[in-house]
Amino acid sequence: MTDAAVPKASAGFRMPRIWSESMQLNIGLIIFSIIVLSLLTQLFIIPSSYLDGELTSRLKPPGWGGHVFGTDQLGRDLLFRVMGGLPWSLGIAGMSTLILAVIGTLVGLTGAWYQNWIRTVVLLAISTFVAFPFLVLALVMVAVVGRGYWPITLTLGIIAWPAVARVIYAEGRALLQREYVLAAKLFGVSQWSILFVHVLPGIRPTILVMAAFLFAVMLILESALSFLGLGAPLNEPSWGNMLADSRQYLVNAPWMMFVPAGAIVSAVISLNLIGDGIAEISRKRARAVEV
Amino acid sequence: MTDVVKGSENETAPVEQPGTQTPSISQGDVETVPVLTNLSRTLGKRFFELLVLLFAISTLLFFLLRLTGDPAAVLAGETGDEEQLELIRKQYGLDKPLIVQYGVFLSKVAVLDFGKSLANAQDAMGLVWERLPTSFTLVLIAFSANLIVSIPLGAWLGSRPDRRTRKAGSAFIFVAQGIPGYITGLILIQIFAVELRWLPSIGNQGPASWIMPAITLASFQAPHVIRVISANVSEAMREDFIRTARANGAGFHTLLWKHALKNAMMGATALIGIQVAFLLSGSIITEVIFAWPGLGRLLVVSVQTLDFPVVQAAVFMIAIFVYTAITLTDIVFLFIDPRLRRQRA
Repeated sequence: MTDAAVPKASAGFRMPRIWSESMQLNIGLIIFSIIVLSLLTQLFIIPSSYLDGELTSRLKPPGWGGHVFGTDQLGRDLLFRVMGGLPWSLGIAGMSTLILAVIGTLVGLTGAWYQNWIRTVVLLAISTFVAFPFLVLALVMVAVVGRGYWPITLTLGIIAWPAVARVIYAEGRALLQREYVLAAKLFGVSQWSILFVHVLPGIRPTILVMAAFLFAVMLILESALSFLGLGAPLNEPSWGNMLADSRQYLVNAPWMMFVPAGAIVSAVISLNLIGDGIAEISRKRARAVEV
Repeated sequence: MTDVVKGSENETAPVEQPGTQTPSISQGDVETVPVLTNLSRTLGKRFFELLVLLFAISTLLFFLLRLTGDPAAVLAGETGDEEQLELIRKQYGLDKPLIVQYGVFLSKVAVLDFGKSLANAQDAMGLVWERLPTSFTLVLIAFSANLIVSIPLGAWLGSRPDRRTRKAGSAFIFVAQGIPGYITGLILIQIFAVELRWLPSIGNQGPASWIMPAITLASFQAPHVIRVISANVSEAMREDFIRTARANGAGFHTLLWKHALKNAMMGATALIGIQVAFLLSGSIITEVIFAWPGLGRLLVVSVQTLDFPVVQAAVFMIAIFVYTAITLTDIVFLFIDPRLRRQRA
């Protein structure tokens, strides 16, 4: 169907294509939607009393007495507990990814635009912090700012931006050399509209890809912090906390480890699939434009 | 930790080669710069970055600590009364103005004096030094194991990516990349220590106890390195120089192991160097899982007990370690990649 055939009234509207050309992206999106749906179910449908345990049914294997995934050392149902971990694990990872993507994009574009000392400072900041292990910084920050939802979210969001900024800087700088940007400059378009209206759409696939991968990294990092006993408060059902609990019961109740582990792995893999899928599509499109 | 961001398997996020700025942007005249000039420039740059990082981290820690609470209260613990607090403030100079405290703190940090551990009054830096060799052993074993496995496997996967076995292998590596190292560690313990009782799961007690921590730690990095090498090899196999070599009669294995792999390793070296930093992250978790008496476990315990002098000393040591690793990678690059010796005039 050509553009001319589309009636004018609906010209601005296009059905969002849910089923894309990349199989990886589709599979990743399916798994991720299931995860998000269970997050919504957990938030709005399941009463929080389901998280309470019964001490009479401690350490029961999967399938025992209607507990699909079994129970933990306090008799809490692992299915509900792993779902109760979604707001912690997925929530913290998602929010911090949002924060780091915004900071990284802003810093990267700023560095790409200015050609004076600002760029020098930005580049120095990026190359200084990009190599330093996230986990070490996160540990130190958490030691100081304390635990809880927002401290961890902000910590994770603030420490990981250089990874984004480095790539956005390189791409933004390349785009700023293009003729259409020069044309916009000659038209007197302001700096911020050039950056956000003309350059930003060009690097959107990159941001999406990096956000998907970093979402996975943040998820792993949050679980790692909780696993080390430095993330979510100890009684909260964060996946890392569940893993840490399971260490003492590996002999008697290995399912306590496999349930949260499965949750983390499926979330991470779905995000990696999404990231790879978007990268694949944008690569194909770029190739199509060149040819 | 699977740090999936820094790889070059997705072309949208290329690994920047150290010492070069995206060369495609402006093409000036190219001239060859002697290796030594470049070397000293690289060393200087890295050293400066290290200083900035150390300065930033210590400043951040100092002010965050002062802003978020009374350090004297932290030092005194929960049982401290007002009299003790006064004493501690005097003893640590906490009664002086903030800026004076900051100056004293910085001048001490500059000579690597972090004070005494709050837990057992030992010298903080000394504690860190003690733990360093055990951590280093673990990282070194995992690093070598990783290279021994990743390079051939990556080359094999990348050599004929369309074959069914390689596709299955790549899919397996993709899934493996999604499994965080701490889960690998727990699964290994479950299988080899709990079920089979083959390997000890705790502590540093000879070679048998190294196996699981080393595999766990290597698993933080290996899938990623394998994917990058495989992507680079499969790309190199399509290059003109491979076709030329094939036309000259080189066999498949010569092409793969000699020509393509050599070229693919250029990109992978940068990644491996950067990933040493992430091996350190991984070693923190690994050491906790396997009760390995190293630097990472010291750091975690100190963070849990709010033992800030030790935390700072450990972070300093890790920063120095990371920057040494990156600088070594830079130097290796300068020697193996002739393209880096040329610079835009």
